[in-house]
Amino acid sequence: MKPLKFLGVLLLAASLVAAGLCSCAPAAQPEKVITVAQYADAVSLDPQDTNDNASYSIEKPMLEGLIGFNEKMEQIPQLAEKWDASPDAKVYTFYLRKGVKFHDGTPFNAAAVKANFDRVRNPDNKLKRYTLYKIIGQIDVIDEYTVRFTLSEPFGAMIATFAHPAGGINSPTAVQKYGADYGKNPVGTGPYKFQEWVPNDHLTLVKNPTYWDKNNAAKVDKIIIKPVPESGTRIAMLQKGDAQFLNTVPYPQSDIVKGDSNLSLVSTESIYTYWISMNVQKKPFDNLKVRQALNYAIDKEAIIKAVLRGYAKQAGSPLAPQVWGYTQVKTYPYDPAKAKSLLAEAGYPNGFKTILRGADSTEAKEVMVAVQGQLKQVGVEVEILSMPAATLSAERFKPLAENKAEMDYSGWSPSTGDADWGIRPLLTKENWPPTNFTIGFYTNAKLEDLVKAALQTSDAAKRKAAYAEAQQIIMDDCPWIFLWTTYLLGGSRANVGGIAIQPDGIGFYRSVYYK
Amino acid sequence: MLRYILNRLFYMIPILFGVSIVVFLMLHLVPGDPARLVAGPDATLEDVEIIRSSLGLDRPLPVQYVSWLGNLFHGDLGRSARTHRPVTSELRLTVPATVELTLAAITIAILLGVGAGTIAAVRRNSIFDYTSMVVALLGVCTPSFWLGLMLMLIFAVKLDLFPTVGRGGLDHLVLPAVTLGAGAAAIIARVTRSSMLEVLNMDYIRTAHAKGLSAQAVVVRHAVKNAFIPVITVIGLEFGYLLAGAVITETVFAYPGVGRLLVDAIGYRDYPVIQGALLLLALQFALVNLVVDVLYVFFDPRISYGK
Repeated sequence: MKPLKFLGVLLLAASLVAAGLCSCAPAAQPEKVITVAQYADAVSLDPQDTNDNASYSIEKPMLEGLIGFNEKMEQIPQLAEKWDASPDAKVYTFYLRKGVKFHDGTPFNAAAVKANFDRVRNPDNKLKRYTLYKIIGQIDVIDEYTVRFTLSEPFGAMIATFAHPAGGINSPTAVQKYGADYGKNPVGTGPYKFQEWVPNDHLTLVKNPTYWDKNNAAKVDKIIIKPVPESGTRIAMLQKGDAQFLNTVPYPQSDIVKGDSNLSLVSTESIYTYWISMNVQKKPFDNLKVRQALNYAIDKEAIIKAVLRGYAKQAGSPLAPQVWGYTQVKTYPYDPAKAKSLLAEAGYPNGFKTILRGADSTEAKEVMVAVQGQLKQVGVEVEILSMPAATLSAERFKPLAENKAEMDYSGWSPSTGDADWGIRPLLTKENWPPTNFTIGFYTNAKLEDLVKAALQTSDAAKRKAAYAEAQQIIMDDCPWIFLWTTYLLGGSRANVGGIAIQPDGIGFYRSVYYK
Repeated sequence: MLRYILNRLFYMIPILFGVSIVVFLMLHLVPGDPARLVAGPDATLEDVEIIRSSLGLDRPLPVQYVSWLGNLFHGDLGRSARTHRPVTSELRLTVPATVELTLAAITIAILLGVGAGTIAAVRRNSIFDYTSMVVALLGVCTPSFWLGLMLMLIFAVKLDLFPTVGRGGLDHLVLPAVTLGAGAAAIIARVTRSSMLEVLNMDYIRTAHAKGLSAQAVVVRHAVKNAFIPVITVIGLEFGYLLAGAVITETVFAYPGVGRLLVDAIGYRDYPVIQGALLLLALQFALVNLVVDVLYVFFDPRISYGK
């Protein structure tokens, strides 16, 4: 009786002291819970059937890949301890971590890895990430903890493709058990386990007490993710303490978070680049001088300051600096006089009329209006066509003959973090709409050769050299008006750390802790 | 009366059938490719085609419609193109939430609107009349988006009286219900006032006063009941609109309702969800109208529906 009483007094005293000393600290809580207010709900929790960042943000704490990314988009070993690639970029061998178990007790081993990638590369399963992994021709289980992938053709960016969030490894037992409903019942190896999902309301992850990596184990008991589409609401939740982290904070509202001492703004340099593509198959954009002129005619810094509140930096390459293979090439300084003379040389001394299409978000519209104003200074009359996402996508993916593309304001983030996915889908002929996102119908024989060559080898130095040359060609040839790389903003309560938005736009929630 | 109700219920079938065809055709006329949107921005054409066939969108339109209709008779509305969840379970999750919110909102709207409108009519040209009608005008004009955020900032963040977002107990319902009900309250107040003013000038009201009834009894027993036909019509219409139009309130308060479901679905051209949700909204609207028509009988005995 006595020791208990003593303990009680001690506890009471401790809590009184705690309450007196610091009113900001919550009283000793049995459970540490972090609520994240996220801009959208998950669509699916099956990484092989996911293509949106909202879903990946929630999958990431539960599901780990053979390879992962750290917060700077550098590849790190996760479920594989090491790997090697054949020089011809066709055979990839992974040496797996031993003693790891999925949340349902299924052992993680080579057979589980094989089952995962056999599932995604089978077109009959109709998974959204099929084409990402269809290049895998054969998977061999060498022994319990060694697995070998043989590709049907060389693909130098394969390691990055394994690191892609779609490469999260699922428990084969759970995939079998839940079948078509696996996307609502994910089972992985991560520091957090799935608990429940009430669509459009909340999704709860709980700590995995038997996580394999003691140094990176869960630091809170629960992470609750609430989909909150309205940014003003997200900020109100953070101010009241109903949420501890926001994904995302729009630039115009960044000052509210910055100005509140209870809150802190968490900024990440992204791998998103923004640009205006020009339809190079159409006049006047078939003329290099016109494309150069438009690059000189836009004052990127001014737009960054006015519209993006400074949270961007001018692009010096079609790739963002944190993309693997990035080389700083050059920027086109704001020089309206030069733009005018280039236009005159190209045969357009009085400018021309054109259409600029883009999304209908406030930010996109503000950017387009600024561009319109600046191009008017050099005699180019721009009509803005801002469209809802579905309509815009329908217009963009029309084949050349039906496509009305002139100028198009867009952005891209290569989710593999590799230069290949930052160039090939955007600037090569085989990726013209409707196939993929080369929405300016650009093609350049030299560039296509370089991009192909970079995939024929797994030699990092050779690949980097090829991409460096590719970036140089693109910057000289100006298929786009190169704009900027953005920063992504999250907001957190001041007493919370270890949480941010990754450069690829996916939430990084797994290391969150209370200070 | 029962026969009338059954009749009306029967006529809903062709109406809903018509709605389903119109919705189906309009969806396919609107630009936007569901397969492309589901596949995501960096999908290859091959991904898109696989998804198109898995969604059944590669079949001719009439085949798609007939197969949807056939499944409907089995109570199957298909699966969401985006989330693969059954549409019925999406609706089962969201519709009760929206009905709950709408009922709360319309209750608030009726109490405020009928109350303020009646008092304003009885005390015509008083300060109360002027202020309540100015407030009502503001209520009609205030965007619910702004009102919702303001209420949240004041009552949830500053005064800490209510939670900011989500669905839960009654405390979760107060701010969204006020936000959603404000516009309806204002309209109901204005209609109540004008309808009451008309009735208050009637001979029978003078008679009621003359026979010595208290002012209160005259208003409550004679005036309100007779003034209520237009009011009940407006309430019915508003209720229908609120059920379908709660999306802004649901978005501001991150409330898991059918409005958000529908708007998300429209954004992604998620045909099965749009068709299912619109069909249900049409059904609700038709039912509310029926209830209003039945209520007429209660308020005006001269109206009767057959023997």
